[in-house]
Amino acid sequence: MIEVRGLKKTYGGFAAVADSTFSVAEGEVFGIVGPNGAGKTTTLKMLAGLIEPTNGEARVAGFDSTDPEMRQQLGFLPEESPLYEEMTPRSYLRFFADLYAVPRDVATERVETTLDRLSLDHRERRLGDMSKGMKRKVAIARSLVNDPDVVIYDEPASGLDPVTTNTVLEFTRELRAEGKTVVFSAHNLHQVESVCDRVIIMNEGRIVARGSVEEIRDRHGETTYHVYTDVSVTVPTDGTEWDPNEGITEGTPNEDVAGADGRRAPLRSEPVGDRYRVAVPSMATVEDVREAADAVGGEVVDIRSREPSLEDIFLDVVGRTPDRPRTVDDDFVRGDGQDASAEPQRGATAEEERR
Amino acid sequence: MRDRLRTILRIARWEAGGVSHGLDRRTLLGALALVLIIGAVVGGGVAVGVAGFEVDRDIYHVGVEPNSPYADAIEADPALISVGLERAEVGETVDVAVYETGEGVAVTTAETTKGEAAAEAVRAAIEAHNERRMAAEENQTAAFPVTVELRYESRTVAGTDGPTLGEDPIDEPDGADADNTVDSGPTDDESTVDSNDATDDDSTADSNDATDGEDATAHTDPADGEDGFAVPSIGDGGGEAFGADAVGSPGSITPPFPFLSLLLAFVFLVPMNFLIQAYGSSILNERINRRGELLLVAPIHAVDVVAGKTLPYVGAAVAVTAIIAVGVGGGLLSVLAMVPIALTFLAATFVGAMFARSFKELTFVTVAVSVLLTTYAFIPAVFTNVTPVALISPLTIVVLDLQGEAVSIVEFLFSTGPVTIAAGLLFLLGVGVYREEDMFTQKPVPRKLLDALAVRLASVGRVDASAEADVESTHRWGIRRRVRGLATVAFITACTVPFVFVAELLAVAVLFALPVTVSIPVLLVTLAFIEEVAKSIHLYAGFERDIFARTDRVAVAVGLASGLGFFLAEKATAVVQAVGLTDLFIGRAAFGEVAGLDALPLPLAIGLFFAPLALHGFATVVAAVGASRNRAYYTMTLVIATLLHAAYNFGVVSLYG
Repeated sequence: MIEVRGLKKTYGGFAAVADSTFSVAEGEVFGIVGPNGAGKTTTLKMLAGLIEPTNGEARVAGFDSTDPEMRQQLGFLPEESPLYEEMTPRSYLRFFADLYAVPRDVATERVETTLDRLSLDHRERRLGDMSKGMKRKVAIARSLVNDPDVVIYDEPASGLDPVTTNTVLEFTRELRAEGKTVVFSAHNLHQVESVCDRVIIMNEGRIVARGSVEEIRDRHGETTYHVYTDVSVTVPTDGTEWDPNEGITEGTPNEDVAGADGRRAPLRSEPVGDRYRVAVPSMATVEDVREAADAVGGEVVDIRSREPSLEDIFLDVVGRTPDRPRTVDDDFVRGDGQDASAEPQRGATAEEERR
Repeated sequence: MRDRLRTILRIARWEAGGVSHGLDRRTLLGALALVLIIGAVVGGGVAVGVAGFEVDRDIYHVGVEPNSPYADAIEADPALISVGLERAEVGETVDVAVYETGEGVAVTTAETTKGEAAAEAVRAAIEAHNERRMAAEENQTAAFPVTVELRYESRTVAGTDGPTLGEDPIDEPDGADADNTVDSGPTDDESTVDSNDATDDDSTADSNDATDGEDATAHTDPADGEDGFAVPSIGDGGGEAFGADAVGSPGSITPPFPFLSLLLAFVFLVPMNFLIQAYGSSILNERINRRGELLLVAPIHAVDVVAGKTLPYVGAAVAVTAIIAVGVGGGLLSVLAMVPIALTFLAATFVGAMFARSFKELTFVTVAVSVLLTTYAFIPAVFTNVTPVALISPLTIVVLDLQGEAVSIVEFLFSTGPVTIAAGLLFLLGVGVYREEDMFTQKPVPRKLLDALAVRLASVGRVDASAEADVESTHRWGIRRRVRGLATVAFITACTVPFVFVAELLAVAVLFALPVTVSIPVLLVTLAFIEEVAKSIHLYAGFERDIFARTDRVAVAVGLASGLGFFLAEKATAVVQAVGLTDLFIGRAAFGEVAGLDALPLPLAIGLFFAPLALHGFATVVAAVGASRNRAYYTMTLVIATLLHAAYNFGVVSLYG
């Protein structure tokens, strides 16, 4: 439904989006995450035909993104969508239905249905008198007046209370169930994780990770084992923290958890209540913790595994990219982002400021 | 097309509802009601005579008996107030007193300046009263036994450029000669313009004609006028404009200053200032609050959005103009002449609102638009009866219409054409930046201007004439594409000509009143600067926005293209000859390149015809080379190009003498 190839947007010498390539299947909810200035909004606006790409192309519902016809198939919700406050929800939605050339009777029915689905009862109240959540619902309803095949939501739940946020997320799932293709950006990674089938992580205009949440987790995340001991926080008695490495004689020979120099990665303890807990990357390393605890007269009392969240992966992927100015010629990262972590980048200033 | 029209009308209806600029219907209705109340009060006052447009109304108090024959004359003059003699005390309650004695009339005047002026006003009022009575006589031959026919001859002496305010333009008025030749300066070529019938025997007193009031008009000698306004000839029938059809003594001729018409014409301009406030606010509201983004993402064209948002204001302008026209006695011509003015007000405001970053800046923009365009419209109209230069303002057409003058199609087109085209181009300029990337960013105004110009150059693609790029570009674009790109450059330059024309005419009008020794040099440099900016500013935008490669070859190519575009479009300004503007010395200075070639040998004429092409090409290349470097270089080369151009202009003026 959406095909993006080598999409690039530059402002002078600054690349807001550099060589993005991805596709979104019909009926898929596709998430774009990234820090401020990553290029998410610019990417979405290029898809919506609001910004003309410097290079590359984006096809949406079979149309070039710059083709005004494409917009007939698109529902776009910008991050900020101030409404015409003198209008009522009903008149506002009908006005936009007219702009999309929706027949009057169809528009009337569609407007009422959508407002029903979004539980928006005050249909003749002035928009300026409505709460932020209600306004956002009206904005979402506006994105659907033309019954689009593709919906692009830029931070749809930004700044909303948990109840409204949940309504928006639930509504997004309903759109997927209806077969609509949804592209969804958010800062809140839990939201993306909860509704998106596939995700790309952007940083400084580039895609640095992609795939389903599980795939990204497999590729970029690692299961962590939390080993709970009964070693008291009073050990050692000199006030310093317990160093489990001191009690290990050889350590595990597992090369998967060894450092780059081939040596065992050091263990690090952290107090949980009045006992110590040690996070280890594999079950094999649990034996090291057991030996270290034994050295101070303690023992392992519990082991729990923890899957990394998208947020962990995001912080991991984005966080380990040192700052470096981004330029148009900055082509060291492939569009699929697989080499992203190997190369240094920096300069995550918001593209709006650059522009 | 039908769908687009429907969309435009839908947006227009929505805009008219006031929702886009934050005004609700109640506020709009309230404002409308306020305007109507003010209009009704003023109109009613005018109708019942409580208020009026005479600025000299009720100035002098005159003591006179109510049953005196002089009382009627005094009552008829709005400047005079009659006071009964029983209450008249000269110097105290009245400025002048008229006593009828058994031997005649005695006039007592207060020994003050005002008293003397009052006496003069009383004398004029009595003369006018007598004229009216004479005009009402059945036997006009008896009333006016002598008919004087005026003929206006153009002056051919160069360098003494016709009338200037305060200058006595009269050569040798000869009251005995029926052909009162008046040095009018700005007349048409050999235009001995006779508002009545120049072929008639000049001094024939035809009683029949006198009675039908057509030919036997007693034309008065403006030499008796006091202000020294020259009598112009504005096409056919121009003579009527300043009293050529007046009946009466030479002393009663009205000075050729259409005060009342001007005042009424100004009323047409007033609503424009309110309209642009609302319009600018509406446009900026879309930008400041990002609300326009939702319209941009709808399947409609930006130009449709702009058209829809503008339409209600154009409609309002036409409606208000029509109402005013009905109120002040104007006709369809006045309304038609005001439409380009309204469009220009709105277009300039639109561009300003697209460039402004805040309502604070918008206020500056609307004030600037208001002042500049009001000046452009009003100042030339002041000279309606003096010089054809006045026709640069469509308001002059309104003044002529209010005076009951006939206006030719050529005059109408000359007056409204450039303004209309300029309005259209301004709208195009603004529509170019009516897009997400420009609407919602906070760029400085000059950068937005460059962006707007660069948008229009976008179809050029990257013009890269570097040696390395040649091979590649041959494959990528080819020669045709490059030629098309340069043609686009030339076309955009040509589009600037209406602005240049307007700016130059405004410069001519502004400098018109200065002594020739000052106005000509200043004018030559000013015109050169205007043209050089017009030819090169978009080239600078092209280099700055990376549309053109920063090489000398590219600079030369786009400079020559721009110069050619300007040359070709400039030739279109030959239309100025149609209204006789080049007969003005100062007009020749502005448009001399296209005038007077027929008097020269053919080779020289051909050379001179193409000399401007060489000038425009060379000067623009100079500026373009600077533009390809950076702003400082561009400024420097622009100055050089301006001086080259000014030197050329001086040469042309010298050559033509």
